[in-house]
Amino acid sequence: MRQFLQQLVNGTVLGATYGLIALGYTMVYGIIQLINFAHGEVFMVGAFGGLTVYRYWLPDSLASNVWVALPAVLIGAIAVAVGVAVVMERLAYRPLRNAPRLAPLITAIGVSIFLQEAVRLFYPGGKRQQAFPQMISSGTFDVGGVTVPWVSVFVVVVAVALMVGLQVFVKTTKTGKAMRATSQDPESAKLIGIDVDRVIVVTFVLGAALAAVAGVMQGMRFAQIDFRIGFLAGLKAFTAAVLGGIGNIKGAVLGGFLLGIVEALATQYVPHGSSWKDVWAFVVLIGVLVVRPGGLLGERVATRA
Amino acid sequence: MNTRKPPALAVAGTAALVAGSLSPWATFAGYPGKMSLGGFPGGARLFCLLLATGAVLFVLDLGGRRRAALAVGIGAAAVVAVNFAGLMDHGGGIGSVAWGAWLSLAGAGLLTAAAWRLPAGTPAPKEWPVLPVAVEVAAVAAAVLALLGAVVWGLRINESSRFVSFLVFVAFVSVAVHHLGVFEALGVLFARRQRIALVLGGAAAVAFPFTQQGNAYWIRVFASIGVFAVAAIGLNVVVGLAGLLDLGYVAFFGVGAYVGALLSNAALTTVHFHVPFLFVVLLGGCVAAVFGLVIGTPTLRLRGDYLAIVTLGFGEIFRITANNWDGLTRGPNGISGIPDLAAAGFDFGESHALFGVTLPGFANYYFVELVLIAGAILVFTRLNDSRIGRAWVAIREDEVAAAASGIDTIRLKLMAFAIGAFLAGCAGTVNAHVTTQVSPDSYTFLESILLVAAVVLGGMGTVPGALLGSTMLFVLPEKLRSFQDKRLLLFGAALILVMRFRPEGLVPSKRRRRELRERAPEGVPGLPGASGAPPGSPVAG
Amino acid sequence: MSLLEVRGVTKRFEGLLAVDGVDLDVGEGDILGVIGPNGAGKTTLFNCLSGLEAPTAGAIRFRGAVLSGRPDRFTRAGVARTFQNIRLFPHMTVFENVLVGRHCRTHVGLASAIGRGPKFRREEHESEDRAAELLGFVSLDQAGDVVARNLSYGDQRRLEIARALASEPGLLLLDEPRAGMNAQETRATADLVRRIRDRGVAVAVIEHDMRFIFGLCDRVAVLVQGRKLVEGLPAEVQGDARVIEAYLGAPAG
Repeated sequence: MRQFLQQLVNGTVLGATYGLIALGYTMVYGIIQLINFAHGEVFMVGAFGGLTVYRYWLPDSLASNVWVALPAVLIGAIAVAVGVAVVMERLAYRPLRNAPRLAPLITAIGVSIFLQEAVRLFYPGGKRQQAFPQMISSGTFDVGGVTVPWVSVFVVVVAVALMVGLQVFVKTTKTGKAMRATSQDPESAKLIGIDVDRVIVVTFVLGAALAAVAGVMQGMRFAQIDFRIGFLAGLKAFTAAVLGGIGNIKGAVLGGFLLGIVEALATQYVPHGSSWKDVWAFVVLIGVLVVRPGGLLGERVATRA
Repeated sequence: MNTRKPPALAVAGTAALVAGSLSPWATFAGYPGKMSLGGFPGGARLFCLLLATGAVLFVLDLGGRRRAALAVGIGAAAVVAVNFAGLMDHGGGIGSVAWGAWLSLAGAGLLTAAAWRLPAGTPAPKEWPVLPVAVEVAAVAAAVLALLGAVVWGLRINESSRFVSFLVFVAFVSVAVHHLGVFEALGVLFARRQRIALVLGGAAAVAFPFTQQGNAYWIRVFASIGVFAVAAIGLNVVVGLAGLLDLGYVAFFGVGAYVGALLSNAALTTVHFHVPFLFVVLLGGCVAAVFGLVIGTPTLRLRGDYLAIVTLGFGEIFRITANNWDGLTRGPNGISGIPDLAAAGFDFGESHALFGVTLPGFANYYFVELVLIAGAILVFTRLNDSRIGRAWVAIREDEVAAAASGIDTIRLKLMAFAIGAFLAGCAGTVNAHVTTQVSPDSYTFLESILLVAAVVLGGMGTVPGALLGSTMLFVLPEKLRSFQDKRLLLFGAALILVMRFRPEGLVPSKRRRRELRERAPEGVPGLPGASGAPPGSPVAG
Repeated sequence: MSLLEVRGVTKRFEGLLAVDGVDLDVGEGDILGVIGPNGAGKTTLFNCLSGLEAPTAGAIRFRGAVLSGRPDRFTRAGVARTFQNIRLFPHMTVFENVLVGRHCRTHVGLASAIGRGPKFRREEHESEDRAAELLGFVSLDQAGDVVARNLSYGDQRRLEIARALASEPGLLLLDEPRAGMNAQETRATADLVRRIRDRGVAVAVIEHDMRFIFGLCDRVAVLVQGRKLVEGLPAEVQGDARVIEAYLGAPAG
């Protein structure tokens, strides 16, 4: 039982990261029906942005102060990820908005490879694992026999706060309402005076910012990052988005946590679970798409013809 | 065809370019192409000299000659520029560039200026007259020979700077020739004389190993390309014809490779059962096709982009399974020591002498692959030109309308999937013998992406596109060793740029070009594709 | 016995009853008009009749056999359709569009298509002859090599009809065939529909243009809010007080 609870906690922490990245997939898909394959790389680039600030810009005297270092790293991560996402949208995706669906998807794959390789080749030491600052104490505390690192508490709290914040933003602000209108019907949104281009950029920016925060969290949890972390994290987050119902913000959050928990439990309880660790996400993805393509909270996506 | 008096600018430019190309380009010895010698067009200077023959465009009033002449001028300048960079890198600063290079650059500049001042004139003709059979066949043969010649010539060049010069030269000559409408004419010609073109193309492919004078290096590379090309044609059935993006396609290739390895009598195989190779090839194809059906049946209802991700997932599942199923696949170690094929006393690993040329063992595999490629081309072209191919196009264009026109869309998509998988499986069995080992890390997502890249760069929906794409993806990294580490970066960039500027690829299919090139007018009601709704989305009638 | 029997067909979307228990019969050689205010469920009904949407309840019988499943099965059984917002294969040529319509009447499989035996050639020739004949029938025989999206609006509508006819239907469903046409083209379309009927194909047609419907159809059914309000001869329907009210007076119209 204790083991089960421990895995539940681990899964929740894992799921918080998946959920944050999944939000970017789901929002972009909701608005322009593009699977932004490179979103996992935005997450990775964000983590490197945070690392850069910590390593090169923060004076040593400040780096040890959590209250300065953590916000600085987060801001750096968000700035880099948002910058990359905006450039990517402007140069790679926008020109293809009316092209057949395959074209932007292939472009997205190109962007993904390009970003990975750019970090690998041009970031100092980018070919190897990079140590990531932990910033928060590496200590843990016990609840009923379950060991919980403080970092995990931080991760889950921040993730949930951001998810709630996003929900409030989309529901109440003018821009948020414009986003919802555009995802329902871009043509009509344009007719009632919504600047669809701007809405799309805002969507990419929000998704990138959330992914960047997730990137910093990932770095803090594992104490290291490399250019490859975006690929699997991206795929799993995409799975989370599909699981919850793509295009649906609550669904992405739900899917993220569910997938994290499934993965943690499967690793624990399936024989040889750890060597199959990365398979579960794909199994879930395929299972969901086959059985309930709309996901848990979404509408149907299979073509009816 | 009227002849004109050439403008003085063009005459001066040509003279300067020719003179410059016969003069030294380097102030130091040791740069490839004996560039410090005068009166001798060595190295990249030869390309400039050849480009200078393009000056005839100023005399002949051909359609589209302005753009062609511009390509010639800019191309010559680009060749010089490449070598400027190389010379300064080799020698040390601007002082290592000799006056000949400056003169050539000036000539190229004058030519470009002269081309710029040409009247826009008539565009290249679109309709081409039917010529006597002999003339047409000769033209086809000349085109095939030129292609073979270019390949052999290019492969002979060993120095990076000269190879880049060669690429620049070929690229700009292609652009010039394209603007004169020659490729268009050849396309029409090849379509009209399809059979003879295929025979001649095949003959050129067979002739290739004989041009290597017993040297195994490039034959070995081409043996890798051959396998890859079969798979690329198979993927082109799936992506180019049926319009389904498969991001886990390399798994089918892997299935074939494992079938080939397990039944090969390799020392480390886990299946001690040997079957004749011809049977293994077909079996590998069939097993892969079954996998294709198993994967496709539940997933082909999904919309295209979902299908792409799901296939990616299946590809990863295949790899992870191969990594963990020690009892069958020997896990991460894979199966190595796969013996060479042997049939009727003929050992495929040995070199053989034919027509006085020693052909290394890889040539035998290369010939086997040519047979496979021929088979793949047959399958591809004949299906494309049948009710099945038409149905694929229809599904690609508007799935709802296709279904309403009586097409069983799922069945047809499955068919494409299975055929693609079959071809990949066949290729995989051969590959097991060429590489003599199989292991899970040969079948990663990146390999699938390379295959997609080959198809996309070459041209979706065409056979020459798949062949050209595969060749480029193998030969360029081999040739540009200094870029090898940046290979993937360049692929990523190439995918983005091709989709942006030439989505139909280098060898476009006519219809694909129409589909990909059009930017639908916004807000025109009633025209499919004009609204935001993509084809195949669930907005019925 | 009627060709098409529709019994109690109902289609419910989340909270919305788009089609509500509709009964309909189309006999051999009939031209049936379906009219109704916007949002009355006409297109949804046609979607159910052509398999694009599965009815929530009710049965559709064609030539006595129950129709269900995916749209291609409906087409193979003999129900073909056109779309309100024209859905051609825009980058195929006119001739190829019609050939695609032949798909469910041809049977060449993989092996035969690759092997190119006599059966393949015979079938292909037959399809081409049929397609050429149909293009003549809708007066597009000069346009065979034109890419479909380059056709004029009216020509696109006629090509869509030719493609539907290529599947040798017993019943043709036309969804607003004269939308966007001028008076002259409208007359030509009415004439085309009659000629289709004369080929032995029954026609059901949705249209807003009353004059077109009442001048063309043998019988007319009126759909209002998903329900069939009236069905009868054009003259009867035209004079029916409920129909006039549905169009002019009903609050939900």
